[in-house]
Amino acid sequence: MITRAAWALRHTWTLAAHDVGQWRRAPWAIAAALIPPAALALLLYILTFNLGHQPIALVQEGHGRYSNHIAGIFQAQAGDIYSLITTDRASATRLLDSQQVAAVVVIPRNFDAAVARCPALQPDQIIHDYTYARSGCPAARIQVTLDNANANFAGEIRRALSETVAFFDAPDIVTPVSESQLDMSDLNPYRVNVMTALTRANTVDYIHYAVIPCLVLLILSVGVTGTALLCARDIERGTARHLALAPVSPVVLIAGRLLGGVLVSLVVIVPTLAITTLTGLIAPPAGHWPALALVFLATAVCAAGLGAVVGATMRGSRAVSMAAAVICTYLFFLGGGFTTVQFLPTWLRQVTTFVPIRYAIDGLRQSLFYPGLYGFGADMRVLLGTAIVAVVVGGVVVRRAWSR
Amino acid sequence: MTPTLTALGGGFRAEIQQIRRSRLLIVLTIAEAVTFLVLVSIFGLTGNHVPTAVVDRDGGKLSHQWAQEMAATYHTYGIRYMDARSAQEALSEGDVAAILWIPRGFSQHMAQHTMIRIHFVVDNVNADLTNEVELGISPAARAFGVANRFPGIRVVTAEKDVVRHEVGFIPYLVVSALALTTFVVAGTLAASAVAREFETRTLAYLKLSPTHPLVPLAGRLLATGAVSAVAVAVATLLVVVSYGVTPLHPAELAAGLLLCVVIFSCIGAGLGTLVRRTLPLSALIFGLALAFYLDSGSLEPARFYGNGLWVVAHTSPVYYAVGILQEAVHGIQVTPETIGINFAALIGWAVLAAGAAWLGLRRAVTA
Repeated sequence: MITRAAWALRHTWTLAAHDVGQWRRAPWAIAAALIPPAALALLLYILTFNLGHQPIALVQEGHGRYSNHIAGIFQAQAGDIYSLITTDRASATRLLDSQQVAAVVVIPRNFDAAVARCPALQPDQIIHDYTYARSGCPAARIQVTLDNANANFAGEIRRALSETVAFFDAPDIVTPVSESQLDMSDLNPYRVNVMTALTRANTVDYIHYAVIPCLVLLILSVGVTGTALLCARDIERGTARHLALAPVSPVVLIAGRLLGGVLVSLVVIVPTLAITTLTGLIAPPAGHWPALALVFLATAVCAAGLGAVVGATMRGSRAVSMAAAVICTYLFFLGGGFTTVQFLPTWLRQVTTFVPIRYAIDGLRQSLFYPGLYGFGADMRVLLGTAIVAVVVGGVVVRRAWSR
Repeated sequence: MTPTLTALGGGFRAEIQQIRRSRLLIVLTIAEAVTFLVLVSIFGLTGNHVPTAVVDRDGGKLSHQWAQEMAATYHTYGIRYMDARSAQEALSEGDVAAILWIPRGFSQHMAQHTMIRIHFVVDNVNADLTNEVELGISPAARAFGVANRFPGIRVVTAEKDVVRHEVGFIPYLVVSALALTTFVVAGTLAASAVAREFETRTLAYLKLSPTHPLVPLAGRLLATGAVSAVAVAVATLLVVVSYGVTPLHPAELAAGLLLCVVIFSCIGAGLGTLVRRTLPLSALIFGLALAFYLDSGSLEPARFYGNGLWVVAHTSPVYYAVGILQEAVHGIQVTPETIGINFAALIGWAVLAAGAAWLGLRRAVTA
């Protein structure tokens, strides 16, 4: 019994090692698997650096106390929510016309006088009925000219400017819960103090949050493309018939093929992980390495199973590589690799719950970014369940393809 | 002249037959192209309307108005009224990203103009989402205060817009994506047609033809161009019907897309000559399309990315194509260059790409 098991394992390993060798000798297949995740990682990396900081020109025509104060607020908030160029009105217009800035903000000459006409709120000022709505004095006006080519970035600029302008009268509309001992500032004319509390112990920066899941795409792309091409090649070259006639159990052969697919993924992901760890790109909390390894292994098994299905059902290496690229891209995007799932509308979030890669990405983020492994078990249950289904279905489809 | 035309027609017919025999590849090429439209739409959905639960314990007119101001503030929040328990459950399950607790007595406090605290719990999944939801609060409070003319508000903004009809983000994105769709379809089909000649070693036979060996290849590229034009027309129709985007200048749109088909077919032919294998081509073109997507003004005018990236953008034909397509469909100028300059640049690119492909192929054929 033990001898038979050892023989089976040896055959499985022989076929898997042969598959890895074949894969290593196919540089174009490797390129086909590596290019999409590499390009996407680069895209995400550069996008996170360059988007969301709209260039704004500030023209300060008033130079009194209030003008200088609001100009100082603009300068202080620049970099966080917009980039700022301080210039004169003519240059600002030229910059706007040549699209070097998205908006021009003018602090007019009469700004100080207008602010002075409108007194700040007094600490003991309480209004007992709602008729004050008609008693507000005309406020000073900051002039904004906006290149509103699309609603998204125009909205971002409006919101950022609104934030800056609100800060002039009330620096403390939003305060963290940890600062609850601070004075609520009776001078805040908006009369609300929004106390924010965060549910997680740490906030992950967006570059890591968005780029690191490309590791999942990498393992998925290599696993699906690799296994699919190996299966397709057997059918194309007629070697599938030889395998079917081999005096070895079909289960052993299929296990060897799927193990080959998993090993191909690991051959790529292990050095990638080593490099990203050594360069400090990833630094999982202590004790999270086994969880991380489980995520990658389960994803690799899913990818091998899926690749087997694709490779055994489609004809031709090119069709297989294209189908693999399309499938992997959809799985990754719908799994929340390119987006924050929480941002998506309800119907799309419901769709993502049926995408197994979502659980791989969630598990990866949880094990890499957060101190605890909250929800990790549930993610792994779904991912491992999918891996088992993928292996069984992949095995059945490959066996049928070999028999044809 | 006749043998040349015969060879050209022969190449055209041969490629059409080849395409008809590999329908799966055509379906996959179109699927890859449509993938771009779908993906940019998904991307367009992010960053806006963050699902936010409002637990209104006050229930008054002013608390309702506060929530409405939140919902209306620059597309930041997607407001859902919930009770406390449902909100907590929704937050823990990731169905909402934040909960705003409007306390009892809110309307009374606002009517009497006295300070009140509101609690806002945020699921800080990442810094981007956390910033988005936190940045929306001050503008919402300001909009509420300005709408009710609260005393003590000393500064407001007076906005003048450059564009009269503001274009939604997804309609903007899908129009840009048409240029990239054209790149994927035309590039993949042309590159495959050329690479296949190398892979099947049929290029040697072309040398025996009574005309220049590149003429039948040009016929094949004409065929892939024609098929690409049809595929892009279908994608455009999809954009018009599904997204409700009606082009303001259809002729300009058609001219821009046809130029793109020509340019990207030539670039594809060049890539096919370089790589000489069909297997990695679709992945390579998909990867290149992502790079073009990054730096072509597909998300917003490329100049806003900063001068460095803007200069780099000029090396990509997609930059000029996006400029033309946005003007043709939405009537907005997203490049500092005029539409005439963008067309001239695209024509220049077409000549350059055709010349480069011709030279590359001639070298390969005569080698």
